[in-house]
Amino acid sequence: MQISFSRLDDTIARFVLRGATPAFANTLRRTMIGEVPTLAIDDVFIYDNNSALFDEIVAHRLGLVPLRTDLDEYVMRDTCSCGGEGCSGCTAIYTLSVEGPKMVYSSDLIPQDPQAAPVVDNIPLVKLEKEQKVVLEARAVLGKGISHAKWQPTLACGYKEYPIITVDKKCDGCAMCVDECPRGVLEVVKDSVRVVEGKLEDCSLCRLCERICKSEGTWDEPAIHITQDATRFIFVVESDGSLSVKEIVERALREIRSKSESLVDVLSDISGGNGNDEI
Amino acid sequence: MIPVRCFTCGKVISSSWEEFRQRRDAGEDPKEILDDLGLSRYCCRRMLLAHKEIIDDLNPFQ
Repeated sequence: MQISFSRLDDTIARFVLRGATPAFANTLRRTMIGEVPTLAIDDVFIYDNNSALFDEIVAHRLGLVPLRTDLDEYVMRDTCSCGGEGCSGCTAIYTLSVEGPKMVYSSDLIPQDPQAAPVVDNIPLVKLEKEQKVVLEARAVLGKGISHAKWQPTLACGYKEYPIITVDKKCDGCAMCVDECPRGVLEVVKDSVRVVEGKLEDCSLCRLCERICKSEGTWDEPAIHITQDATRFIFVVESDGSLSVKEIVERALREIRSKSESLVDVLSDISGGNGNDEI
Repeated sequence: MIPVRCFTCGKVISSSWEEFRQRRDAGEDPKEILDDLGLSRYCCRRMLLAHKEIIDDLNPFQ
């Protein structure tokens, strides 16, 4: 299995996964979304809130604020040495104390650990009028996207099978499919259609070109064929800023490895302790 | 208040709201503003396009 990145910066990555099965590609996608932990505010102690928003709404909005996460600094609360009570190893504490008239922004959240500050500073949380105020303490813990979307490190995280476009010799270069393609993948060169260089990965596999070729042409079968390579996958992963995309992919792959190893252990336990060879 | 994140994809869109409102009220084409703000997916674009701020209507009744 091989991964080659065509784009990799802090918040977005595009890569091709080669030599994998559709099941593995989907495992990777699901693990990146649901199994990579991030910090998010989970407990909010509200001391004062006479704003127009209810306490629950304020708490919900706080939960959705993405926080910078250093996974070497924090551990999941249920595996922490404090036994789930909450200590500096598993909990990041924030205070917020604002009096109106003012718009409360995510930058008004004062973190105890400056490393775990909100990613974006200008998220409006609540608008306060004169004599309104909000005083609260918020506690962020590590969690997984599988239990709540606020712990997802990814935004748009998905894949498609690698497109294969073949054009038959009978193509007369009528350019009907070139006009039909919504992604501008095709062009006409010397009375025949071909893929614009570097545009193949933009093909969304919509097959509009096949359809127009079949309905407008003089033949029963279209001259252009769109198929998919079920061993190559184009991934797009976008991060909300809490973790870098590189770390999301790495952590997800590590998680898949540890999960499959524990599956092997369980299976060998079931089969009487010597099942490793049989699996 | 504008939702913190896009309902569909989860991108933080609320941080763009104030700039969007200012520029829209100044008469700019919403399409241009959204492209400028880097909101490429239509799920995020509808969050700003379809939002109506009502907190100023609620505040007198607190």
